Amino acid sequence: MIWKTAWKNVWRNKVRSLVVIISITIGIFGGVFAVAVMNGAIEQKVDAALNEEISHIHVNDPAFRDNYDIQLTIPDAGQVLSTIKEIPGVAAVCSRTVITGMANTATKSAGVQIIGIDPETEKEVLQLHETCIPGTGDFFESESRYQLAYIGEALAKELNIIRYRIDESVLDSLAAREVSAEVLEELAAFSGKRFKSEKSFKKEVKAVLSMKEQQEYGAAIKEEAWSFRARSKMTLTFMDKDQMQTGAVFRIAGIYNISNGMYEMGQILVKNEDLMKLTGLAGNEYHQMIIRLNDLESTKEVSDSLKGKLSGLEVMNWKEIQPQLAMMTDMITKFYAIFMVIILAALAFGIVNTMLMVVLERTKELGMLTAIGMNKKRVFKMIMLESVFLSLVGGVTGIIISKTLISATARKGINFTSYVEGFEAMGYPSHIYPLISTSFFVTVTVLIIITGILSSIYPALKALKLDPAEALRTE
Amino acid sequence: MKVLEIKNVHKIYNSSEVKVHAVNDISLDFEKGEFAAIVGPSGSGKTTLLNMIGGLDTPTEGEIMVDNTNLARLKSSALIDFRMRNIGFVFQSYNLIPVLTAKENVEFIMSLQKWNKKEKDDRTFELLKAVGLEDRVNSRPSKLSGGQQQRVAVARALASKPKFVLADEPTANLDSKSTETLLDIMEELNKEEGITFIFSTHDARVVKKARRVITVEDGKVISDERKK
Repeated sequence: MIWKTAWKNVWRNKVRSLVVIISITIGIFGGVFAVAVMNGAIEQKVDAALNEEISHIHVNDPAFRDNYDIQLTIPDAGQVLSTIKEIPGVAAVCSRTVITGMANTATKSAGVQIIGIDPETEKEVLQLHETCIPGTGDFFESESRYQLAYIGEALAKELNIIRYRIDESVLDSLAAREVSAEVLEELAAFSGKRFKSEKSFKKEVKAVLSMKEQQEYGAAIKEEAWSFRARSKMTLTFMDKDQMQTGAVFRIAGIYNISNGMYEMGQILVKNEDLMKLTGLAGNEYHQMIIRLNDLESTKEVSDSLKGKLSGLEVMNWKEIQPQLAMMTDMITKFYAIFMVIILAALAFGIVNTMLMVVLERTKELGMLTAIGMNKKRVFKMIMLESVFLSLVGGVTGIIISKTLISATARKGINFTSYVEGFEAMGYPSHIYPLISTSFFVTVTVLIIITGILSSIYPALKALKLDPAEALRTE
Repeated sequence: MKVLEIKNVHKIYNSSEVKVHAVNDISLDFEKGEFAAIVGPSGSGKTTLLNMIGGLDTPTEGEIMVDNTNLARLKSSALIDFRMRNIGFVFQSYNLIPVLTAKENVEFIMSLQKWNKKEKDDRTFELLKAVGLEDRVNSRPSKLSGGQQQRVAVARALASKPKFVLADEPTANLDSKSTETLLDIMEELNKEEGITFIFSTHDARVVKKARRVITVEDGKVISDERKK
């Protein structure tokens, strides 16, 4: 009967209860959806890092990571490779040569890490080849008499390999994408012009377009004006095995686009055979073995096993290579819980206020209930249940709305293209697919119930202090 | 058989400047099945006496024994439980739970005492029939007249078969017809169930119906008449 009475009491003052319920709904919805977006971004970042950049485990000379010394190759690499392949849980392994050097074009240069790979085994371990921008190359697929390099979009822009232009074909494509006539007219003034860098292109286009036009058509203009000349070339210079300066011209075998601008800027893939020829490394001299596992959960187990079997070599799993990623995956659930607790704490004040008003308004009734036999425990329980019901109705509604919106946006994602540079600079994707686990909803529901209980304590204590004879005299 | 003994009870309120002797050495006994009215002018101490009898207030001095239990000796939670099982209350302004129906209001105390559903249903129907509201079982208080609400309050007071019912000015907010009906019902229940009724009232119609009339003035009993 107390449960029933408490539930009915919630709807006694419908307007007041609905105001509280709506504020809880909005708070929970805002919190859960924000967490889903953050979680989606982090999951994508971790997935991208593991699939495109570092994979699960690296094996190299213990001093190699200090300064990437070309001399520090893995001794008896063939035997090491066989040992790795025998470990249960290893899905694939590839061998790399890694050196540092400079990438130069006629106008620009940049410091880079040059990674020698075998394209076929590399594909088994990492999916960087899948991020190749269409029309820029084929990731070493086709035969070529030139030495080839696979570079990131950020580096291509930095080295002016990617340029921007406005010409008739660009204007036609933009018209087909329903860009307004006024904007096309403004852009026509640039017809035939080639921009040396993305920065100068943006600067000039921004000068002629309004903020609204930039937001509406900016992404389309950038996509259509993007220009790349097939088989562009650049020079890579570096030290060979004998510490002598060397280098060669490389043609672009493709430009990759990932969500990590820093990685795009600094990592160039070339064929192992080309790099070995230039550096004087022998065919079985590699600096690193990159290992992909069948199951992410077995990372520690496999890396421990490798550490035991490959003494004298450094074995590092992805959590050790990028501790910030490990921290994110390990700490994120706690962070989300803290985030929700802060939101619920703010909502709790609203609930406390409402419940205090309830107690004040029902002083006489509470006096009567105590007079006819409701003991303190039951009065406390009734006030607490009212508070929990109020919180749960708002909370569950918020969760349902969040879940619906998360499901709707999880398919197509949320586009933050306008902020693409900022996101990529931090290594996050600009197209985010909100994601949240079912267990998080359970956690939030438990937190809502706890909030309801905690919010009821002060008002309930006020109710318990009422003197029934005095309370019955109030009007 | 005595259901209530009041022995030399005093109630003194000490405010900062004045000392008010609201109840001054009252001693009374009530037998099972009595239909008694405590009358007196405003401020005479009727309500204070009734509150002490009901365990809602404590005497400054003296003892109140209900069924041989000294109320002053009971701890707060035990006193509430004792009230629930032994004392029924009818208030001047009905004081029903507005969100519950007539049936649920009557069932409320039985639910607190964990009666089983059949027992509750039977007792509720019996009482609502007795107060003439068997056709209004699912009505909320807001849909009932003042007289009907007070009849539900009487049914609620009798639900757990108490030793006695305390009714503080039960007819003060009712018209003549409702008062007449209510008093007839209470008188009949008093006779049928043998439950003692103690009223505090100004109402001459209640005094007329009562079989015992106790007059209180300045906190003292000045007369205690039993009608034949």
